[in-house]
Amino acid sequence: MLRAVWQVLGLFALLLVLTLITLKLKNQNADGPSVLFPGGELTSGELYQGAEPDWAFTDDLFFIELQTNDPVSSRRIFVMESGGKVYVPSGYMQSFLGRLWKDWAFRVEEGSPLVVARMNGTRYERELVRVRDPEIINGVAEKLAQKYAGGATPETVAEIADSVTGGDTWIFEMKPRSESP
Amino acid sequence: MKNVTYIKLCGGVGLAWVLALLFIPPFAQLVEQLMLLFLSTNAR
Repeated sequence: MLRAVWQVLGLFALLLVLTLITLKLKNQNADGPSVLFPGGELTSGELYQGAEPDWAFTDDLFFIELQTNDPVSSRRIFVMESGGKVYVPSGYMQSFLGRLWKDWAFRVEEGSPLVVARMNGTRYERELVRVRDPEIINGVAEKLAQKYAGGATPETVAEIADSVTGGDTWIFEMKPRSESP
Repeated sequence: MKNVTYIKLCGGVGLAWVLALLFIPPFAQLVEQLMLLFLSTNAR
């Protein structure tokens, strides 16, 4: 009887491992991420050309798709508009798992800032710049709390701002790309 | 269950599972949603 239980558990463990490996490999070259797994290059969708958009429309988006380079990969990520500019967060930056999971943010910080963001099916070529200005951080923290933490109470906003100041959460502005020299 | 039978069962079920994940997109999406549900339930 005990042997049968171990055999059933073994089969479930096998299926779990097979699922993780299969979906990871299946998604790594896909046009965008899946719910849980990073994807590859964002290829579909019109490439936006023109004046800087009004980013207020991102208030209605829970996630956007963000492609980074070196290596090319894409993931779903929160998005916040504040003061007419648009920002993305990266959390858990000081934890062991965060360092593995958020490798893309370290790559951006180390010198691969060019990204492509896909929102509502349109691709925007942008450049990520980490934000360190406390005034900007407070505005972004307020929007982050409002959209993703159940409301912008002073305590929640302060908690998020502290997390950013302490380096556990990184905030990047998605700026227009710099002109090539 | 004998070891040989068990290994054959694991091989057959495992292969069918992988093929279903690769070639039946709704199945892969369902599995991912269940994993997400499990993760979000345990994160609370």
